[in-house]
Amino acid sequence: MAVSTFTPIFHITPNQSNSLLFSSKFKLPRNKIKPNFTKARVFAALSDPFVLQIAETLEDSHSSSPPHLQKLRDFSSESLLSAHWPSRKDEPFRFTDTSFIKKSQIVPISTPPLPQSLNLFDDSEETQFPNLVIVDGYIVDSVSNVSGLPDGVFAGSLSNLDSEVIKKRVLDFVSSSDGDLFWSLNGVGAPDLVVVYVPEGCVVETPLHLRYFSDKGEEKESNKLPVSNPRLLVLVEKGGEIGIIEEYVGGEGEKCYWTNSVMEVVVGDGAKLTHSYIQNQSLQAAHIKWTSVRQESTSTYKLIEVSTGGKLSRHNFHMQQVGPDTVTELSTFHLSITDQTQDLHSKLILDHPRGITRQLHKCIIAHSSGQAVFDGNVQVNREAQQTDAGQLTRTLLLEPRATVNLKPNLQIIADDVKCSHGAAICDLEENQLFYFQARGIDLQTARKALIFSFGAEVLDHFPNKSIQKKVESHVKQLLVPSLSSQ
Amino acid sequence: MAVLNYSSPSPPSLISSFKNSTSISHLFTVPATRRRSFPSFRIKSSLAVESPAASGTSNGGESPKILLQVKDLTAVIAQTEQPILKGVNLCIYEGEVHAVMGKNGSGKSTFAKVLVGHKDYEVTGGSIVFKGENLLDMEPEDRSIAGLFMSFQSPVEIPGVSNIDFLLMAYNARRRKLGLPEYSPIEFYAYIMPKLEVVNIKPDFLNRNVNEGFSGGEKKRNEILQLAVLGAELSILDEIDSGLDVDALRDVSKAVNGLLTPRKSVLMITHYLRLLEYIQPNYIHIMEDGKIIKTGDISIAKLLEKEGYKAVSAT
Ligand SMILES: Nc1ncnc2c1ncn2[C@@H]1O[C@H](COP(=O)(O)OP(=O)(O)O)[C@@H](O)[C@H]1O
Ligand SMILES: [Mg+2]
Repeated sequence: MAVSTFTPIFHITPNQSNSLLFSSKFKLPRNKIKPNFTKARVFAALSDPFVLQIAETLEDSHSSSPPHLQKLRDFSSESLLSAHWPSRKDEPFRFTDTSFIKKSQIVPISTPPLPQSLNLFDDSEETQFPNLVIVDGYIVDSVSNVSGLPDGVFAGSLSNLDSEVIKKRVLDFVSSSDGDLFWSLNGVGAPDLVVVYVPEGCVVETPLHLRYFSDKGEEKESNKLPVSNPRLLVLVEKGGEIGIIEEYVGGEGEKCYWTNSVMEVVVGDGAKLTHSYIQNQSLQAAHIKWTSVRQESTSTYKLIEVSTGGKLSRHNFHMQQVGPDTVTELSTFHLSITDQTQDLHSKLILDHPRGITRQLHKCIIAHSSGQAVFDGNVQVNREAQQTDAGQLTRTLLLEPRATVNLKPNLQIIADDVKCSHGAAICDLEENQLFYFQARGIDLQTARKALIFSFGAEVLDHFPNKSIQKKVESHVKQLLVPSLSSQ
Repeated sequence: MAVLNYSSPSPPSLISSFKNSTSISHLFTVPATRRRSFPSFRIKSSLAVESPAASGTSNGGESPKILLQVKDLTAVIAQTEQPILKGVNLCIYEGEVHAVMGKNGSGKSTFAKVLVGHKDYEVTGGSIVFKGENLLDMEPEDRSIAGLFMSFQSPVEIPGVSNIDFLLMAYNARRRKLGLPEYSPIEFYAYIMPKLEVVNIKPDFLNRNVNEGFSGGEKKRNEILQLAVLGAELSILDEIDSGLDVDALRDVSKAVNGLLTPRKSVLMITHYLRLLEYIQPNYIHIMEDGKIIKTGDISIAKLLEKEGYKAVSAT
């Protein structure tokens, strides 16, 4: 096989965090008492007062904390002491402006939703699947229904998990240090850990629907930003299979809030996970989401993402290969119909032979101050021989000043690999438009169909057709105003 | 963009007075400059093959009308202004089958695409009148709805748009124009199923994206399926036979023949006699360097097959 080196290869410059300075100071032994943010202010010169302030309010927001989350909270707090709020000078945020969050008054959501607000979710669209309703990070059992799951499969709050063995196994995978500042903030602020556990060899036929609602939102004028920190861990044991649908929706009206979500995934030997992720937040919301995936040998992980909501939406995706012969498929579609930022930062790290990765990322920017950011990192390390990695990104800019920042970013150290990538920014293709016209379809209808079909290439990957139809009609509806202005 | 602006074309009275008056059966050559008089030569049933034109007179004695009249058509590539069509003349009556042959690069596909209004080309002179209307004034979609259909030599792939959605969109565009209620997907299925049989296409084909991953033969069948669904008074078939195996060629030709009526016409572009044996033309034209340099009957294609283009070349 050909030895390949691919351009553009970007090496991320180490970010300017002062973590080095702090690493010695705060290398606390495990189980040490939680760090004290007030004290930390003494080191104000080296800490970020804004980060400390959020961390502090998040800590204070917990009245009682489940004992099994204490360790996560402590370690997350610790790492926040040395973290600073990202600026445009930090490479991972070069194109993503988070000042919208920073300028707001951040208010942690410290209580589960009130019973009266739950009526809303009762009436909300039915789902035909076993489902968990998670409101502002809290599971609401009264409107959830997981009765359709096979024996041995668990979906719910960690505190309701009976088996100590499984509990311990799950907790082993909860990490306080995988991500960035937002990951750590989630670690401090998460009110609960939602667990999905699929035992060895168990194939779950129907998908599990996780419906995330944002209940507490503020008007734009208030300058307040309620923050919730949903946290999920999915563990599919050896040979198990499941489909997960993660759907995020805002409440009534275009409210301001911040969802800071973390999902950790472990796909065991030969196991399969299909992950549908639909982000349909309020257009005034901040939505920061982490998905961190560990793939053991011969496992398969597929992500189908459609993100259309949020004023600022960022998906950090990590895949770490921990065994050979893995299959990883990412199909993502981002749509900016107003002055939104849609950001995907993906990192696939291959350390074992014969991994296959397929990544397709598509964006449509339909607004002159809309923006898309894509940083697609693939690392094929020395041991990852015979890796087959493909990445393709295409962006459709429908307005003159719409912007996209693309950074395909392949680092290949192994010498026997097959890697390809392509990035294109395009307008609608004349030849395709003409094909419609030649069959009697007017230009505007043709444009609509082609714009929609651009995203359909990703939507087609949804394993569940009813979900696909639902997302399709939502995307169509969003595109209508921007289409009729053409 | 079209630089010509004809409001209402004058019917060629000379031609109508000659119609049906002459029949020919042999190879003949008309210098391009004198082409204006050519359409008066009408072929009836004198060709060895049965052609739809032969039944033109059975229509209550009503004489066939001119469907398409192209005069001194010149066109350039819009981007580079490179001249491609250098004075094309052609007249097609209702019910006639015409074939255009010619070397690669002689301008056959360009001619076909100019007829349907492709934006890559700019018409710099001459006229195209279709059913008495100036085609150059019409948008491509209106030309299609008016009854002009071109099957593309290389149909473009449209990922994300399923064949069935595309066909329904096109069919309903027509129905809207005709003031008819649009078809629902279910009504449309009922309408389309027999059409699938005509071109020997499996129903699951409808769920695939337009031309995406289709083999060469499937693309051609799909073009004919579109023709069968949408209907057309003049079908322009650009190398519908290229890349087809024997079975596919037979299916496709059968489908085209099945669609022909005494009033419908075909203009096909081909390199091979084989197709002409299935869909028998009244006229064969040879195109060279952007002009039709010869017109004749099937014998011209036979000569071509035997001796190559030098035998029919102008130079
Ligand atoms: N869109 C275009 N851009 C550039 N050159 C073109 C284009 N269309 C046609 N041509 C050129 O015009 C000439 C005639 O092409 P075409 O009509 O496709 O020939 P034919 O179908 O007879 O083989 C060729 O030299 C071809 O390269
Ligand atoms: Mg051609």
